[in-house]
Amino acid sequence: MTKHPARPLSRNEAIKEESRFLRGTLTEGLSRAETGALSEDDTQLTKFHGIYQQDDRDLRAERGKKRMEKAFIFMARLRIPGGVMTPAQWLALEAVAQERGNGTLRLTTRETIQFHGIIKSNLRPAIQAINAALLDTVAACGDVNRNVIAATIPYRPAAHGTVAALARAISAHMRPRTGAYHEIWLDGEKIAGDEEEAEPIYGRAYLPRKFKIAIAVPPLNDVDVFAHDLGFIAIEEDGRIVGYDVVAGGGMGMTHGEPDTFPRTGDVIGFCRPEQVIEVAEKAVIVQRDWGNRASRKHARLKYTIEEFGLDWFRAELERELGYPLQTPRDFRFERSADPHGWIEGDDGLWHHVLFIENGRVRDMPGHQLLSGLHEIASVHRGNFVLTANQNLIISGVTLEQKPAIGALLAQHGLDRPVSGLRRGAMACVALPTCGLALAESERYMPDLLTTLEEILERHGLAADEITIRMTGCPNGCARPYLAEIGLVGRGPGTYNLYLGGAFDGTRMNKLYARDVTHDGIIAALEPLFSAYARERADSEHFSDFVIRAGYVKPTTAGNRFHADLSPELS
Amino acid sequence: MQSLPLLPETAPFPADQIAALNRIMGNATAEQRAWLGGFLAGHQAANLAQPAPAPARKVGLTILYATESGNAEALAGAARKSASRLGFAARTVDMADTTPAEIARAENLLILASTWGEGDPPERATDFMRALLAEDAPRFDKTRFAVLALGDRAYVNFCQTGRQIDERLAALGGRRVTDRIECDLDYDADAAAWLDRALHEIAPEPEGAAVIHVDFARAATEAPSRQAPFDAEITEHVNLNGSRSSTRTVHLELSVAGAALAYEPGDAIGVVPSNDPALVEQVLHAAGLAGDNDLHTALRERYDITTLTRPQVAAYAALTQDATLGALANDEAALAAFMAGRQVIDLLDAASHRLTEAQLTSLLRPLPPRLYSVASSRKATPDEAHLLVAAVEYDAHGRQRKGVASMDVIERRKAGGSLRLYLKPNPHFRLPADPDRPVIMVGPGTGVAPFRGFMQERDAIGAKGKNWLFFGGRNFTHDFLYQLEWQDLLKRGVLSRLDVAFSRDQRGKIYVQHRMWEARDELFGWLRDGAALYVCGDAKAMAKDVHATLLRIAAEQGGMAPEAAEVWLGELRRAGRYLRDVY
Ligand code: SRM
Ligand SMILES: Cc1cc2nc3c(=O)[nH]c(=O)nc-3n(C[C@H](O)[C@H](O)[C@H](O)COP(=O)(O)OP(=O)(O)OC[C@H]3O[C@@H](n4cnc5c(N)ncnc54)[C@H](O)[C@@H]3O)c2cc1C
Ligand SMILES: Cc1cc2nc3c(=O)[nH]c(=O)nc-3n(C[C@H](O)[C@H](O)[C@H](O)COP(=O)(O)O)c2cc1C
Ligand code: SF4
Repeated sequence: MTKHPARPLSRNEAIKEESRFLRGTLTEGLSRAETGALSEDDTQLTKFHGIYQQDDRDLRAERGKKRMEKAFIFMARLRIPGGVMTPAQWLALEAVAQERGNGTLRLTTRETIQFHGIIKSNLRPAIQAINAALLDTVAACGDVNRNVIAATIPYRPAAHGTVAALARAISAHMRPRTGAYHEIWLDGEKIAGDEEEAEPIYGRAYLPRKFKIAIAVPPLNDVDVFAHDLGFIAIEEDGRIVGYDVVAGGGMGMTHGEPDTFPRTGDVIGFCRPEQVIEVAEKAVIVQRDWGNRASRKHARLKYTIEEFGLDWFRAELERELGYPLQTPRDFRFERSADPHGWIEGDDGLWHHVLFIENGRVRDMPGHQLLSGLHEIASVHRGNFVLTANQNLIISGVTLEQKPAIGALLAQHGLDRPVSGLRRGAMACVALPTCGLALAESERYMPDLLTTLEEILERHGLAADEITIRMTGCPNGCARPYLAEIGLVGRGPGTYNLYLGGAFDGTRMNKLYARDVTHDGIIAALEPLFSAYARERADSEHFSDFVIRAGYVKPTTAGNRFHADLSPELS
Repeated sequence: MQSLPLLPETAPFPADQIAALNRIMGNATAEQRAWLGGFLAGHQAANLAQPAPAPARKVGLTILYATESGNAEALAGAARKSASRLGFAARTVDMADTTPAEIARAENLLILASTWGEGDPPERATDFMRALLAEDAPRFDKTRFAVLALGDRAYVNFCQTGRQIDERLAALGGRRVTDRIECDLDYDADAAAWLDRALHEIAPEPEGAAVIHVDFARAATEAPSRQAPFDAEITEHVNLNGSRSSTRTVHLELSVAGAALAYEPGDAIGVVPSNDPALVEQVLHAAGLAGDNDLHTALRERYDITTLTRPQVAAYAALTQDATLGALANDEAALAAFMAGRQVIDLLDAASHRLTEAQLTSLLRPLPPRLYSVASSRKATPDEAHLLVAAVEYDAHGRQRKGVASMDVIERRKAGGSLRLYLKPNPHFRLPADPDRPVIMVGPGTGVAPFRGFMQERDAIGAKGKNWLFFGGRNFTHDFLYQLEWQDLLKRGVLSRLDVAFSRDQRGKIYVQHRMWEARDELFGWLRDGAALYVCGDAKAMAKDVHATLLRIAAEQGGMAPEAAEVWLGELRRAGRYLRDVY
C-alpha cells in the first residue's frame, strides 16, 4: 500500500493492479486481425514486457483519407545488463530486425538495442527469435527496474568484467517474476504458481514509475551516473574495487512550462561494499515503491520523492530497510562522459575498438555500411560486443593477430573514417517518426546540424576539440541533454531550447541560454560563442566551463535550481 | 468528297456490309437517300401493322450458353428474342444447369460459349464440358447445331471452348447448319450476322416474312450500354494504399444519378477507357504519321493500341513485306515467344514502316471496355456506384507498360471529372436470397470490392446471417483496403469475423488460403450449417489455390476421399453456395 498521501491514484495504478500480473487482455488483443493496435490499457502493460506501441508519425496525415487506422508499429527494447553480448547474438538480432522490424537496429543510451517498426503480427515471432538468442525484453520499459547499465571502460577489461557482472546480478535480482511474459510471448502456456509470492519486490502494482540504475568506474562517467534514480560509483584501491559510492535521485525528464518538473543530478548519499550493492538497490526500490507519488506520474520518480521528503529522510528510510547504515562516501574524480574512440589496448593485452555509431542507428548508408560491416565482423569476431551508454559499440577482446582482419573489415565498410570531436561526443534521441512524445526532430536532424557546426568549428580551429552536444525531441531527456555542454531540447516542429554549461564530465547540468530557436537561430547563437571560446579560453578549458566563466550562463548547482538563475531576458 | 456521316462501325452489319452500304450511300444523291429513308420507314411500318405469319408449327430452338462474365448469356437472351419474333419456340439454357444428355434431345441447337483462363471453359460450364468430352458422351444424331465462340484474340487459345464444342458435337453425330464463328471482343456485328445465318438455315423464312436484323448493339431498355455508356461524374478518387505501398488501388465514387443503372451487389460496371495520349503519340510516331485531330481522337478513344494479336502480326508482316516478320508469323513457336509481353507498339517498332492512316487503323481492333465489380450497395448510397481499381503497371521489353483502363482511371481521372460506364449484371454472383444464410467471402486485393457491396447491402436490410471475410494483400500497414470500414462493421456485428493474410509482412508468404486452412474447423462448420462461399479476385493463382484448399478442408474435416470432395464442392456450386467471380 502506498504511503505517499497524494490521491486519487493515477489511472495506470488501476491498470497495473487489475492486470493479473501484467497479463491484461494481451493474448486476445494480439489475435485481433482487423487492427494493428492493442487496447489502450494493454499498451501500458506491454511496456513491462519491453514493448511500446507506436505509430509511424510520418504517415499520420494520410491514414484517415485512405480509410486506414494509424500505421501502428511496435518498438521492442532488449534487456542487456551492462551491454555485453556475443557476436552470435548480434547476428540473431540483426536477423530479427531484417525479418520482423524495419531493418535497422537502434543502440540506445542505456546500453541496449531497440527494434522499430514491428507490426503486431510479427511481435510474437520477434520476441521468440530474441528468446532463442538467449536474450529477452523483460522489464526493458515499464514501472520497474530498467536495464542496468555499467561503465564500459575498454582499457580496463577486468574492472569492466566486475561491473558488468554486477549489472547482470542486479538486473536478475530485480527482474519481475510474473509468468506473464513467457505465457503471452513465448509458449502460450499458463504457468501456475502463487503470483503474489512471485513478485516479492514489486507487488501487484509494481513501482510508481520507472527506476534506473547505473554503475560508473571513474574517471570515465560514460553512464552519466548522476542521471539515474540510483547510481554506484566504483571506488578502487590498488586496482581493486573495494566498494561503491551510492548516488540517489537523478533523472532527466521534465515538462515544458511546468517548473515543478525538472531534471536533477543525483546526490551521493554514502558508500557500500560490493556484496551490499544488490541489497542497497533492492531497498532503494522498496522505499520508492512505498513512498513514490502514485497520483501524478509527472512527479512519481525517486528524484521527486527525495525533493519532497528530503535527502536525509531518504537515507534514513533506506538504512532502516537495510538494517545498517551506509558508510561515508569516498572520493572519486571523473574526467569525461563521452566514450573514448578507436583502438584501445586493454590491461589484459587484448584490443578493443570503440566504433562510433551516429545516434546509435545501425543501417547501411552509401559509403558507410554499418549493418553489413558489423555483420561481417560479428561473423569472424571471437570476443564480445559491448554497447555503450553513448550509443556506441565496442568490438571487445580482439587478439593482436585478429586485429588486422577486423581493421580491414572496418575499412572495407567505410567505418574507419575520421569523425570530428563534436560528432563523436554527440547524441540524439530517437524522436520522429516513431516516438509518440516527440515535439521536434532529433535523430534525423542532428547529423545535418553537426555538419553546419563542424564547418564553423573548423573556421575557428576547433575541429579536433571535444565538446559534448546532445539533442532530444522533447524535454523527457532520453539522450540526457541536460548533462551536455550544449543541450538542444525540442519545443515544436523545427524549434529547440538551447542549454549551455553542462560539465564535460557529466557532474553539472546545463542552463537555458536561448528559447525557441530554429536551425538558423542555433547557428547564430553558437557561432559567436565558438569564436569567443577559440580566442579566450584558458588552457584545456572545456567549452562549458568557458561559457560559465565568461558569464554567458550561470552554473546549475542542483536540480531544483535548473529553472532558476536565467538571464533577465529569459526569465 | 462526301461529308455526311455514314454508318458507324457499331451498325449491326458485318464490316464488309458496312463498307458496301457506305459505298452506296456515299455516292447516293440527296434525293436517292430521301427515297431510301422513306422506303425503309414504310416497309417497317407495314411489317409492324401486319406481322409476318409465323411458321405453321413452331420450330423448337434451344439456345445453350456458357458464360463467365455474361457476354454469351446476353447474346443468348437477345438471340432468343429475335428467334421468338421469327416464330421459333426458343428457350435459353445455361450450361451450368444442364447435361449433354439433356441437350442431346434438342433438334435445333445454338451454342454460345466463351473461353476463359488459358483456354478453359467458363467456371460454371466445367461439369458439362467434362461430360461432353468424356468417352461416354451421348450421341447428337438428331441435332442440328451452330456454334458461336466468344473469345479474345490476344489469348493463345482463342475461342478454345467454342471450338471444342463445335468439333465434339460434329464427332458425336450432330449436323452443323452453319460454320462456327469465332468472335473477338468486338463481337456484336459478327454475332448478329451469324444468328441471321443460323436461324435462316434452321428454318428458312416463309415467303414474305419480315427481314429482322438483330441489333445486339441497341439494348431493349434505355440503360447505358457498351455502345452508349453513361458519363458519370467522379465524386471521389482516392488511392487506398499507403504512400509506401508497392501498389496503388483507387477507390472511385461515381455519381450515377439520372442513369438507369440498377445494379445489385455482385454486378460489374463496364468502363469505357481512353488510351494514354503519350502512347498515342508513340504509336503515331512509330507509324510515321503526324495524324490530324480526328486520328488522335480515334486512337485515344476508339482503337485498342496496346493488345497484340496474332492476326496483327501477320497483317503487319504482309503490309511491310518484312521478311523477318513474315517468317515469324509463320512459325508458331517463334511467334509465341515474340508475342509474350509485347504490344502493338513493339510490333510497329519491329519493322519500321510508314503507314497510311487507313493502314494503321485497319490493323487495330476496337478498344474494348473493362469490367470492375461494384463495391457499393444502392441501399447505402442510392445515386452512387463505387469501384475499386488496381493499378496495372509493369516493365516488359524495355518499356514501362500501363494498363489501359486502370491507369486511365488512376492517373488521368480526378474527382470532378467523369468516366463512361454501363452496367454489366452478374446474376450468378449475388447474395443469398435468404438474409439469414451465413456468408463466407474470400476476396484478397480488389477481390474485396463486391464484398464491400455485400456488407453494405446486408447492413442496410438488417440481414441476420453471419458474415465472414477473408482479406489479403501485401503489407498490413500499407495495403489493408477499407480497414476502418471493416473495423466499424465488426464493431457493429454486421461482419462476424475477419481473417487477413498479408504476404510480405514476413519471410514466408501467407495468403488467404493459408488462413482458410488455419480456420478449417470453423470454416467447414459454417459450410455444414449452410453458408454460401464466395471467391472474388485473381483467377490465375488465388482462385485455384483457394479451390484446392477447400478440397483439402473437405477431405480432412469431412473425412472425404479426393473424388468425394470434388463431388461435394460441385454440389455446393450447383446449389449456388460456392460462387466465384474471378478474373
Ligand atoms: C531509445 C531511448 C533514446 C535513445 O535515443 O537512445 C529512449 C526512447 C524513449 N523514451 Fe526515454 N529513451 C531512452 C533513454 C532515456 C533516458 C536516459 C537514461 O535512461 O539514461 C532518460 C532520462 C533519464 C530519466 O529516466 O529520467 C529517458 C527519459 C524518458 C522519459 C521521461 C521520464 C521521466 O520520468 O521524466 C520518457 C517519458 C515517460 O516515461 O513518460 C521516456 C520515454 C521514451 C519513449 C519510450 C517514448 C514513449 O514513452 O512513448 C521513447 C521511445 C522512442 C522510440 O521511438 O524509440 N524516456 N529515456 C533510450 C532508451 C534507453 C533504454 O535502452 O532503456
Ligand atoms: C468480372 C470482372 C470483374 C473485375 N473486377 C475488377 C475490380 O473490381 N477491380 C479491378 O481492379 N479489376 C477488376 N477486373 C479486372 C479489370 O477488368 C481489368 O482487367 C484490369 O483493370 C486491367 O485492365 P487495364 O485496361 O488496366 O489493363 P490492360 O491494358 O488490359 O492490360 C492488362 C494486360 O496486361 C498484361 N499484363 C499485366 N500485368 C503484366 C505483367 N506483370 N507482365 C506482363 N504482362 C502483364 C496482361 O496481358 C493483362 O491481360 C475485373 C475483371 C472482370 C472480368
Ligand atoms: C481472365 C480472362 C481469361 C480469358 N481467356 C481467354 C482465352 O484463353 N481464350 C479466349 O479466346 N478468350 C479468353 N478470354 C476472353 C473472353 O472469352 C471474352 O472476354 C468473352 O467475351 C467473355 O464472354 P462471357 O462474358 O460470356 O464469359 C479471357 C478473358 C478473361 C477476362
Ligand atoms: S526525448 Fe522525447 S522525443 Fe526523444 S525519444 Fe525521448 S520521449 Fe521521444
